[in-house]
Amino acid sequence: MNEARFLNRFLQVAWPSALLVGGWAVWVRANGYTDLVAPMPQSVAADVLTHPGAYLGPVLTTTWTALAGLVAGMLLGGLLAVAVWSSRLLTAVLTPAAVLMRSVPVVAIVPVMIGLFGTGRPAVVAITVVVTFFPAFSLVASGLRAPSASTRDVFTVLGASKPATLTRLLIPYAVPNALVAVRIAAPSTILSAMLAEFLIGKSGLGFMFVDSVSYSHYARAWGTGVVATALAVASFVAATRLERRTLERVS
Amino acid sequence: MSGAVVDNGRPSRGTDAGHAAVELRGVVKEFPLSRRREPLRALDGVDLTIAHGEFVALLGPSGCGKSTVLRMIAGLEAPTAGSVEVAGGAPAALIERHRLGVAFQDAALLPWATAWDNVALPFRLAGRPVPEERVRALLETVGLEGFARARPKQLSGGMRQRISIARAMALEPDVLLLDEPFGALDAVTRRRLNLELGAVWARLRTTTVLVTHDVAEAVQLADRVVVMTGRPGALAHVEPVSAPRPRGEDFTRGHAFHEVVDRLVALLDDPSDGRR
Repeated sequence: MNEARFLNRFLQVAWPSALLVGGWAVWVRANGYTDLVAPMPQSVAADVLTHPGAYLGPVLTTTWTALAGLVAGMLLGGLLAVAVWSSRLLTAVLTPAAVLMRSVPVVAIVPVMIGLFGTGRPAVVAITVVVTFFPAFSLVASGLRAPSASTRDVFTVLGASKPATLTRLLIPYAVPNALVAVRIAAPSTILSAMLAEFLIGKSGLGFMFVDSVSYSHYARAWGTGVVATALAVASFVAATRLERRTLERVS
Repeated sequence: MSGAVVDNGRPSRGTDAGHAAVELRGVVKEFPLSRRREPLRALDGVDLTIAHGEFVALLGPSGCGKSTVLRMIAGLEAPTAGSVEVAGGAPAALIERHRLGVAFQDAALLPWATAWDNVALPFRLAGRPVPEERVRALLETVGLEGFARARPKQLSGGMRQRISIARAMALEPDVLLLDEPFGALDAVTRRRLNLELGAVWARLRTTTVLVTHDVAEAVQLADRVVVMTGRPGALAHVEPVSAPRPRGEDFTRGHAFHEVVDRLVALLDDPSDGRR
C-alpha cells in the first residue's frame, strides 16, 4: 500500500521530468545546436550541481520577493473582495478596475511600477502583487457568498452585526477559496517575480539570467531557467499541502 | 374564517403581559415574479394572535405560505400589507435585543466550529461573555454533553439538529421559531426528538411557533394547531390541543390523539382546499 503510493508519487514526478529533459536533449541534438544557442541538459545540470552557492543567493532573493508579493497580493485581493461585499457602489467602482488591472500585460505595467516605486525590489514586489491579487480577489469574493441561505438567516435572526457576520461567518467560509487562490497564484508569482527581475531587477534569478547571458555563460543562463521551474513546481506543491492541512482543520 | 383566531385563554407569562407574544393582522405577502407578470400572492389576509408561553404549530402542505409566516415573524421578510408584531413591536426591534431564537430544517451549523462553539455562537453574536455553565447545560438538555468537542460532520443528522435547537434556545429567547426542524430526519429519530423537545418545552414554556407538514408532530407538540391552505395561503382551521404536559408516548398512543390527527389529515386532504 505504502510502496504503491511511493511508486505512484515517484512516477508523478519522474514522468514529466523525463519528458522535459529527454525532449530538450533530442531537440538540441536533432538541430545540431551549439552551446551558444542551447546547451545540452547535462552541461546545465553540471553547472547547477557544481556551483550551488552561485544559485542559492538568487533563489532565496526570488523566493522572498515572490512570497512578499503573494502575501501582499492575497491581502489586497481579500480586502478588495470584502470592500466589494460591503457596498454596491464599491462593487461598481472596483470590479472593472480589478479586471482592467489584470488584463493589462505585465510588460506594460512595468514602466508604471518603475514610475511609482523606482527600480528596486519594491517595484518587483509590486509587479508580483498585480499578478497575485486577481485570483485572490475573485475567489475570495465568491467564497464570501458561499454560506447557505439558512445559515445567513440564523445570523440575521440572532441579531449579528455586519462586522460579526463578516468575521464569524463569511471570512471562515472564504478560507477554502483563498487557499485555492494561493495554489493558483504561487507558481505564477515565482515566474512573474523572475520576469520582473529580468526586466528591472538588480538581484534574483531573473537578474542572474540577464547577467549570465551578458557574460556568454549560457549553461548558467539555462540553469536559472531550470531552477526557476523547479521552484515554481515546489511552490505549487507547498501550496497544495497548506491547502490540504488547513481544510482538514476547518471543514 | 381567518380573523376568528383568538388565543385560547392560556394565562400569559413573562414581563410583556400587556400584549400578545406574536400578532399578525391582515397580513398579505406578494412576491414579484417578473416585471410583466402579476406578483405571486403567497399569503392573503392572515390574522393570528399567539399568547405568551403558547406553542403554536402552523400545519399545511408545501407552498401554503406557512414558512413565509414564520419568516415574517423572524423579521426575514416584510409583509406587503398588514402588520406583524412580536412582543409588541417590530421583529427587527426584538432581533436587535437578541431575543429571537430560530432553527431550520437544515441545521445551519458552522462546519469548522465544535458543538460547544456552535451553541456558544448566540452569546458571541450578542457581544456577551460566553457562560460556560450555561452552554454545558444546553448541551446536556439536548443530550449531547459528551460531544462538546465534536464538529458537525462527525455527528449524525439528528445530533446536528439537537445542536441547532440548543443554539436557538441559548439566549432564552422571547419567541422560539422552528421551521421543520426535524423535516430531514428519519421517522424514528424524528419521533424521539419530538418527544424530547416536548419534554424540554414543558419545562421552559417559551412562546414557540413550529412550522411543519407532519400532522402527528403538530398535534403532539402544540397548544394550538393552525391549519393553512395554499395558493394564496390562508388559515383554514384552528385546533386547540388541551392535553396536559409533558405529553409522553401514552398521549401519542391514545385514542384522543389519533382522533385529532385523523380529522386534521382529512382536512388537509380535502380537494376543495388549495385551489380556491
